[in-house]
Amino acid sequence: MPDWKQPIRERIRGLNLAPAREADIVEELASHLDERYRDLLASGVAEDQAVRLVIEELESRGALAERLRQTRQPAEREPMPMGSETKGNLMESLWHDWKVAFRMMWLRPAFALAVAGMLAIGVAGNAAIFSIFNGLFLRPLPFADSGQLVDLDETAPKWNLERVGISNPDYNDWQKGNKSFDGMAFIHTGGGANLTTGDGGTQRIKTAEVTKDLLPVLGLKPLIGRNIQPEEDRPEGNRVILLGYDLWQRLFHGDRNIVGRVLKLSGRPYTVIGVLPREAMVPPDVDAWTPLAADVANGNSYYLAGVGRLKRGVSLEQARADLLRVHWSQQRNSDRVTSPIVGPLRDRYLGDYKTVTYILLGTVAVVLLIACVNIAGLMLVRGESRSREIAIRAAVGASRGRLARQLLTESFAMATAGGIVGVALGKVFLLGLVSLMPDDLPKWVRFDLDGRFALFCVAVTGLAALLFGLAPVLQAATLDTRNWLQEAARSTLARGKRAMLSALVVGEIALAIVLLASSGLLLQAFRKVMTQDPGFRPDNVLTFTLRLAPTKYPNSEQQLAFFNSLLERLRALPGAAAVSAASIVPLDGHTGYFFVAEGGKHFGEKDPNPVVLQVTAMPGYLNAMGMTLRAGRDFEDRDNRTSAPKVVLVNETFAKHFWGTSDVVGKRIRYRGNHNQDWFQVIGVERDNRHSGLDREIRPQVFASFALGPTNGLTVAIRGGSGVHNLAGPAREQIRRLDPDLPMYDVRTMSERLARSLWIRRAYSWLFAAFAAVAILLAAAGVYGVISFAVSRRTREIGIRMALGARPGQVMRGVLGQGMLLVSAGVALGLAAFQLAASLLESMLFGVSTRDLATYAAVVLGVALVGLAANYLPARRAAGVDPMRALRSD
Amino acid sequence: MLNPSIDRDLKKGSAELLILSLLEAQQRHGYEIGKLIETRSGGTVRFRVASLYPLLYRLEDRGYIQGRWVEKAGQRRKRFYRLTAEGRRILAERRSGWAVFVEAIRRITGEEHA
Repeated sequence: MPDWKQPIRERIRGLNLAPAREADIVEELASHLDERYRDLLASGVAEDQAVRLVIEELESRGALAERLRQTRQPAEREPMPMGSETKGNLMESLWHDWKVAFRMMWLRPAFALAVAGMLAIGVAGNAAIFSIFNGLFLRPLPFADSGQLVDLDETAPKWNLERVGISNPDYNDWQKGNKSFDGMAFIHTGGGANLTTGDGGTQRIKTAEVTKDLLPVLGLKPLIGRNIQPEEDRPEGNRVILLGYDLWQRLFHGDRNIVGRVLKLSGRPYTVIGVLPREAMVPPDVDAWTPLAADVANGNSYYLAGVGRLKRGVSLEQARADLLRVHWSQQRNSDRVTSPIVGPLRDRYLGDYKTVTYILLGTVAVVLLIACVNIAGLMLVRGESRSREIAIRAAVGASRGRLARQLLTESFAMATAGGIVGVALGKVFLLGLVSLMPDDLPKWVRFDLDGRFALFCVAVTGLAALLFGLAPVLQAATLDTRNWLQEAARSTLARGKRAMLSALVVGEIALAIVLLASSGLLLQAFRKVMTQDPGFRPDNVLTFTLRLAPTKYPNSEQQLAFFNSLLERLRALPGAAAVSAASIVPLDGHTGYFFVAEGGKHFGEKDPNPVVLQVTAMPGYLNAMGMTLRAGRDFEDRDNRTSAPKVVLVNETFAKHFWGTSDVVGKRIRYRGNHNQDWFQVIGVERDNRHSGLDREIRPQVFASFALGPTNGLTVAIRGGSGVHNLAGPAREQIRRLDPDLPMYDVRTMSERLARSLWIRRAYSWLFAAFAAVAILLAAAGVYGVISFAVSRRTREIGIRMALGARPGQVMRGVLGQGMLLVSAGVALGLAAFQLAASLLESMLFGVSTRDLATYAAVVLGVALVGLAANYLPARRAAGVDPMRALRSD
Repeated sequence: MLNPSIDRDLKKGSAELLILSLLEAQQRHGYEIGKLIETRSGGTVRFRVASLYPLLYRLEDRGYIQGRWVEKAGQRRKRFYRLTAEGRRILAERRSGWAVFVEAIRRITGEEHA
C-alpha cells in the first residue's frame, strides 16, 4: 500500500494546524485514499495507474489547503451561521461582491441611474452652495489671529442710516479711551487718484487713506520698505505712499528699487515708502495706501471705517460696551444720536450676502433631504422586488451576513457613482455661480469646491441608500426562511412597509411645496422689483466718471469751465441725444447732508431726522438721465455763475417730508446748524427716483447746482441710441484733447449698473426656482415610483377584481385616487410647514405678502398636475391588466 | 437568467444539501458519502477528496453534523459522521427552499411544455 500521508501532509503544511488536528485530517484522508485505491485495484486498474488516479483526488497542490483554510478558521466570527459561506480571501470575495453589484446595476440601469442621479443632484447642489458659503463666511481671513479683528463704525438710526462712518474726533477718543483693544486703525475708502505713469499717460487708481496703525493691527509688515511714520500721519505731514502688491506688479513689474521713487498722483508728488504684502486686502480692492493725516480736533463729518484688534478674551459685547462708554462720555455725543458699531470684520463687506446664502443653504439641504427620501423609497421598493431572489439565495445556502454584504456593496456602488458625478456636477455648478458674481467681491474671497463637504453629502445620501437597501435583509432576520419564502411568494407589499413608503412620499411632497411656495414668492418679489418705476430711464445711457487733478484745476471756476467745455463737445458727438453730468448717478452711492426747510417741519436734536442725499447736477441732467420734472424748472447755465443766487431741486419725498406737500417751488432750504448761511431757493421738484436701487426705499434728495455744490469729480451721462456704448471711444478722444492727463473710468451703461445692483436678487430668485423645480421633479419621481410599484404588486388583486367585473375606468380611478390622496396629504402638510418657514423669507419679499393667494394657488395647482401625471402612468398600466394573465402569473 | 451570485450559492448550497440528506437516515464515513453521491447521481456528481472533506469539516464546524472515530478490529479506523439536531432543522429548511427553487426553475423552464 503506498504511503498517502506524505502527499497529504505536504498539501496542508502551510495551514499551521494544531498537531492533533493535522494528524486527524491526515489520518481521515489517508483512510479515504486507501479505500479508493483498493476499489480501483478491484475494478482492474493497474497499480501505477491506480496510484496516479488516487493522487489526482487531492487535486492541485493548493486546492486542498485553500479549501481547508476557508473552513477551518472562522466559525466564531459568524455568530449565526446559516448558509454556506465564502470566507478567507477577503479581497477576492469583495471583488466578487463588486462584480455582482455592477452586474446588477447593469441589468437594471434605470434603477441604478435613478438612485445615482438623485444622489448626484443632491450632492452637486449642496457642494456648490456650501462652497460659496464657505468662501464667503467660513474661510478664515488671511490675517494672523483673524478672529480677533473686528469692524468699527458708527450708527445713527435717527438719521435713517445704519452706518454713518466714524468722525475724526470720535476715532481719536475711541483710540485713547478704550480698554478692550490691542490696536485700532481707521480708513477712508472710496478715494482715488490719477496716477501719472512712466509712459506719460495717466491711470485712475483706487486709493485708501489709512492711519499708521492699519498694518500692525492686521498683523502685517510691508513686503519691502517701511510703514507710515507717526509724523507722516498728521495734517501737513509728508506725502508718502504704500503701493499695493498688484499695482506694484502691474505698473512697476515688481521693481524692488521702487522705494524712494516719487510718483505723481493727481498732479501731487508722493514718495513711495514701501510695498504692501499681498495679504493687505482690507480695505479690499485698493491699489495704494496714503496716510489719513486727519486733524483729530476738527471735523464733524462721519466718513471713516475702522478695524480693531480685540485684546485676548474680550468679547464683541464687552468691546461694544467699552466703546459706548468712551463715546457717550464725550460732550459732543451727549445727544446720543450716534453710537459705535463693533462687529465681525467680514460683515462690512459681505453683510448683503449673509441672509441669501443661509437661505440657499437651507434650500439645498431640503433638496438633499428629498433626494435621500427618494433614494430610501426606491431602495425599499427595490428590496421588496428582490426579496424573493434573496429568499431563494438564503434557502440554497447564502448566509444573512453574506447577503447583507452583497446588498451593501450594491448600495455603496451606486452611492459612489452618484457621489463622483455629483461632485463633478457641483464643480460645474459652482463655476456657473461664480461667473454670476459681481467682480467687486473682496479679493480674499475665494471659492473652491469644499472636498470635505462634498464627501459629507455623499456620506449622507449614501447612508440613506445603505440603510434602506438593507431592508430586505433586516426583514429576513425577523422571519425564518420558510415563512420568508412564503412571504416573498405571496407578492404583496407588507402593510408596514407600504405605510412607510406613503409617509416618505407625503414628506417629500411637503418639502417640495415649501420650496415651491418660497420660490414662487421670491419670483413674485423679483417681478415686483423689476417692474418698479426707477424714476429714470436706464436704457441707452452711457456713464463714465472723471476726477480733475486739484493741482491743475485748483478752483471751482476752472473745474466748471472744464466740465462746461467738455459737455459742449460731447453734445456735438453724432448719436448723443442728451449729455450732462452729476456728482453721483443713481445706484452709485450716497453723500448725505442735513437740511432745514423754511416754514417746514422742524426737527429737534433728538427727533428722527433723515440724512438727505445731495447730488450736484449740471443743467440738462434730469433730461439725460430720463428723470422727470414735476414742477418748476431745471438748472440753467446762469445758475452756475458765481454771482447767481444759490438754487436747488428737490425730490417729492423731500418736499413731502419737510413740507407735507409737493407744491414747494419757491420755498427755501439751508444746511442745518449754520444759521449765518444763505437760504437756497427750490426752483423745481423732481419725481422720485430709486437712487439706492429698485428694491430700496426712496430717501429725500436734493440736487444742487454746481455753484452750490462745486466738485472736481463728475459722472457724465450720455443718452443716445441703441449703440450708445460705442460713444465711449469718441468721448475718450474729446477728453484727451482737452486734458491728455485725465483718465475716464467706471465706464458703464445705466442698464449695466441696474443689472449689477440687482444681481443678488436675480441670482437667488432663479437659484431658488431651480432648486424648487428639482425638488418637485424628484418628488414626482418618488410618487411615480411608489404608485407604480404598488400597482405592479397588486396585479393579481387587480386581475381578480377585473375578472369579477370591475371596469378598467374603475381600476384606474382607484389607483389615481390612492396616489392623489398621498399628493393631497403632502400638499396640506407642506402648506402648513410653509407657514412656519415664511417669516424667514419676509425680509427678501419686497412687500409681497407671505399669504399671496395667487402664488399658493399656482403652487398647489402645479403640484397637483405633476402628481396627476406621476400617477397617471401606473394607473393606466393597472387599467390595462389582463385578468387571465394576472391570475396565472402567480 | 440566474445571477452569478445565485449560481455560486447554489453550487455550495446543493452540495451541503446532498451531504445532509445522506446523513439523515444513518451515520456514514467520508468515503461512503462520496461514493453514494457518485453512484446515486449515476456518476454525474462526483466529489474529490479535496472538495469533500473541507465541506464536511465546515458542516461540522457549524454544528450541523458531528464526526467521531470508530475503530473496528483488523481495519483502519474511520471517521463516521451523523446529523445533529441543528443539522436536521437546517436540512428541513433547505429542502423546502430547494423545492421552491426547483419549482421556480420548473415554471420558467417547463412553461413551453405545460
